[in-house]
Amino acid sequence: MVKIIVNGREVEADPKKPLIKACHDNGADVPMYCYHPGLEPVGSCRICQVEVKQGDAPARVMVACRTQPAEGMVVDTESPKAHATRKECLEFLLKNHPLDCPICDKAGECDLQDFTYAEGQDAGRTNEPRRELDKRKSLGDTIVLDQERCILCSRCVRFFEEVPKQAQLTVSDLGSRSVIATFMDRPLKGKYQGNIADLCPVGALTLKKFRFQARVWNLIKMASTCGECSRGCSTTVEVLRGADVKRMRPRENEAVNKFWMCDIGRFSFDRHNRSGRLQGAAVREGVQLVPYPVEEALTRLRDELMREKSGAWILSPWLTIEEGERIKAVAERLGHAVCFVSPAPNSEKDDLLHTGDPCPNRRGLSELGIPAAPVAQALEALRGVKSAVLIGERIVELLGAGELAKVDATKTRVHLVDEYALDIPCVLSVYGVANCVERTGTWVNIDGVRGPISAVKAPPVGARSPAKLIDELVRLMPKLEKAR
Amino acid sequence: MSQTERYLLTRANIEGAHQLAVAEKHGAYEALRKVLKEGIPYSTVIDEVKKSGLRGRGGAGFSTGMKWTFMPDPAKDPRPRYLAVNADESEPGTCKDRVIMQRDPHGFVEGVLLAAYAIRAQAAYIYVRGEYRLPHDRVKAAIEEARAKNLVGKNILGSDFSCEVYMHRGGGAYICGEETGLMESLEGKRGHPRPKPPFPAMFGLWGQPTTVNNVETVFNVPFIMNRGSAWFASLGTANSKGNFLCGISGHVNKPGVYEFSFGITAKEILEQHAGGMWKGRGLKAWFPGGSSCSLLKGADIDVVLDHDSLRTRGSSLGTAAMIMIDDHTSMARVMEIISRFYDHESCGQCSQCREGTQWLSQIFRRIAHGKGKADDVATLEALAKGMAPGKTICALSDAAAIPTLSAVRLFKDELIECVTRQADPLAVPQPHYAVAGGHH
Repeated sequence: MVKIIVNGREVEADPKKPLIKACHDNGADVPMYCYHPGLEPVGSCRICQVEVKQGDAPARVMVACRTQPAEGMVVDTESPKAHATRKECLEFLLKNHPLDCPICDKAGECDLQDFTYAEGQDAGRTNEPRRELDKRKSLGDTIVLDQERCILCSRCVRFFEEVPKQAQLTVSDLGSRSVIATFMDRPLKGKYQGNIADLCPVGALTLKKFRFQARVWNLIKMASTCGECSRGCSTTVEVLRGADVKRMRPRENEAVNKFWMCDIGRFSFDRHNRSGRLQGAAVREGVQLVPYPVEEALTRLRDELMREKSGAWILSPWLTIEEGERIKAVAERLGHAVCFVSPAPNSEKDDLLHTGDPCPNRRGLSELGIPAAPVAQALEALRGVKSAVLIGERIVELLGAGELAKVDATKTRVHLVDEYALDIPCVLSVYGVANCVERTGTWVNIDGVRGPISAVKAPPVGARSPAKLIDELVRLMPKLEKAR
Repeated sequence: MSQTERYLLTRANIEGAHQLAVAEKHGAYEALRKVLKEGIPYSTVIDEVKKSGLRGRGGAGFSTGMKWTFMPDPAKDPRPRYLAVNADESEPGTCKDRVIMQRDPHGFVEGVLLAAYAIRAQAAYIYVRGEYRLPHDRVKAAIEEARAKNLVGKNILGSDFSCEVYMHRGGGAYICGEETGLMESLEGKRGHPRPKPPFPAMFGLWGQPTTVNNVETVFNVPFIMNRGSAWFASLGTANSKGNFLCGISGHVNKPGVYEFSFGITAKEILEQHAGGMWKGRGLKAWFPGGSSCSLLKGADIDVVLDHDSLRTRGSSLGTAAMIMIDDHTSMARVMEIISRFYDHESCGQCSQCREGTQWLSQIFRRIAHGKGKADDVATLEALAKGMAPGKTICALSDAAAIPTLSAVRLFKDELIECVTRQADPLAVPQPHYAVAGGHH
C-alpha cells in the first residue's frame, strides 16, 4: 500500500489498482464510462480526468483509470482544470448521443445523464446531424441494442471477453462509424447476457424484459439474494408501485458474485408475479378445500399435531435459517421428524456462478442440523407418518404434485404451507405463504456467506411468512411456549 | 546551404537494384558482413548509432540509439524480443518509405537485420501498408533472395546471430501506423492503439520487449556502420543529423521524393529541386511534414529544414513530407479534405477523437460549402483544444487538432469570410465525390 493524498486527505491506496478506485473508495466521485471495477481498465472514454501532482513535476490532468497510485501522489479530482477537461470530454460524448432521455429506459440511472447534470455544459454547441443508426437492434432473446445511444465504452465487449471468457461482441467499423456488433449478426448466447444491460452506462443495451416497463425512479429497490441456486448471488429486487417485480439485478459482493449474476436468476422474478396465489388458509370440509380463517385452521392443526406422535416436517430449501430454526424447535418438542427436500442437481452448473444445486439455503439448513432428504426419501418419510407438514415455497413443485396425489389419504394427513392451493386428496389444510421477495430472513450460500432476503412487496392478503405462521402456531400451544 | 553528399538513394537510382546481385555489387550487405565477420558487439552498434545522432524518421524524431537502449537487458529478461518495422506509411503527403522498399529492398533488409542485431531481436516484423503492393512484393522477394544466401534466418553468415524477417500487409488503416496499433494489428486484432505505459520496450508484440522503427530509420543504419558515426554526424545541423528523404507534393512543378541533408532551406527545395510553384502561382501555405503538423504561411518558406528550426516556426518536421498549396486554393477546402481524412481514420476508442474528428470534418465541410454558421470558427478552435495535446490514448487526435488550430490561427479571416458570405470565394466547381463510410 502507498500513501497518497486525495482531495487534501491522506489515504492508503493499492498501487496495483487504478487510481480511480482509490478516488472512489475515498469519496471522490470521479465519473467513468469505460472503466468498471469488474473489468480491466482501457482508458478510452477519457472522462475520468483528475489532476495529479507527483514530486516536483507540474500538476498534470490525466485519466485516473490508467494511472497507478504512487507514494506521495497528490490527486485533486475537483480542480478547475480537471473539471474543464471532463466538461470538454462530455461535450464530445454528447455530440452524437440522441438525448432521447424522455423515452429511454436508462433515464434516472444513466451515467451520461448524471454526469452531464453534474458538470456538463448548459447547452450543446453542435449543429450537426446526429448519427442515424438502428435504434432497436435485437441481439438475441435477452438484449436490444440502440446503436444511436451507444457511447462505445466497450464495457459489454470486454465483459464477454473477461468474465464468461467467451468473446461475443466487438466494435465494428472505425472512428465515428463504430458500432457494437456480434460476429455476422449472430444472436448472443449463454446465460450471462443480462449483465451487459447493467454494465451499459447509457441506455444502449436494454433488457427485452424491462424495456418500457417502468421509469426507474418509480421502482422500490431492496437488497436481497437470488434463490435460483446455492451460490446465492447478492441482488437488488425492484418492484413497481408495490405490485410486480420488474427487475432483479446483481448487487456488488466481492465474496460471492462480484458484480454479476446469471440470467436464470435475473429473470426468475416471473414466478413472483404470477396470479392465483393462495390468500389465507383453506381446510378440507367433506371433499373440498374451503377458505378458512387462518387462526381457526391453525387451532385445528395444533390439536392434530399435539395429539399425533407420528409426524414429520418436510421443509423447502427456500426456507431461511430463522424459519428452519423455529420449525426444528417445534418439531423436536412435538417429537416429529424433520428434513428438507434436496432435489437433484440440474444441468446449469458452470465455472462462473451457477452451482447447479437449486437449493439456496442448503448450507444454512444443514448447519442447523436439519438433514437433507432427496425427493424419493422425503416422500418415503411422508408416507411413513400419520401427520406431515410440508412447508415452504415450491414444496409441492419439489416433491411433485403427481407423487403427492398418490399418497394414501387414509394413512397420512398432509398439511401444506405453499404459495398455491392444490387440491390433492391427502391434503387436509393449506396455508398461503410469503415467497422470497415478500419476507425477510437469511440464507447461507454454498461457501457459508450469509445473504439477506427482503420483503420488497407485500404477500397476498392472509398469506404469511413461515416464521410468522410457526409463531402463531406456537402461541396456540401454551405448554410448549412455556417450555421454550 | 548546398547539397554536399547523397547516399540514401544512390543505389535506389540504379536499374535493377532490387535484385540481390545488382544490390551487392553496389554495396548492399557490406555493413552486415562487416559487423558479423568482425564480431562487432551489439553494444557498439547501439553506441555508433547513438553517436551518429540519428533520429527516428517516422515523424516524432526520437533518438534511435536511445530508443534501442530502452530494451531490457537479455541477461535479466530472457523473454523473446522483437523488432517491428513500421512501413505503414499512410499520412497524406508522405511517400518516402515506398521509394526505399520498392527501389532498394536489400538495403532496407540489411537495415532491418542490423537494427534487430542491435536490440538482439530473434525476429523482425515488417508491417507494410496494405496498398503498397509492389514495395511489399519487392521486399518479400529480397528476403527470400537473402535467405538463400544465408543473409536472413539461422546463423547469418556463419555467425551466432539468427533473425527471421516476416512481412505483414496491413488492411489499409492509417491508425495501424501508430506503433501500438501496429502491434495490435500484427497480433491479429483490431488496430486499436494501446494506452501507454506499458511501453513497447517492456510490453510490445505479444507482450514481449519490442522496438518499433520506421523504414527510413533502419535504412540509415548500414550507412552509419559502414562509414562511421563521425561521417554521419558531419551531415546536417546541430540536432538533426544525416540526410533525409523529402517527399514534396501539391502545387509544384516537379513533385517527388528527394534526398537532402538537414539544413537545406525549404525555399531551395521548392525552387531549385521541385521546379517552383505550378502555373507561376504564389505559395499560400504549406505543410512541412505531412498533414498532421501545423500549416505554415508561404512567407515561412525560408525556414531551414530540421527539427529545431521548424519548431521555432510553430510547426514540426514530421516525416519531411512537404505539401505545397498555391494561392488559388481555398483553405476551407484544404481543411475539409484533411479533416475528412482524420474522421475516416480515427480508430474510435477515445471520445474526443472519435467525435471530434467527425465534428471538425462536418464544420469544415459546411464552411467550404457556404453553409458556415457564425460561431463555427470559434467552435473549431475550442474543439481542437479539447482534442489535444495528450488528451487521448494515441496522437491521432492531436494530428487532427494541430492542422486545425494552425488553419484557424493563420487563415481565420478567410474562414470567417466563407461564413459571412455563405460561400467560399475560392471554391472551384467540385466533381461529385462519395465520402467513404457514407453517414455524412
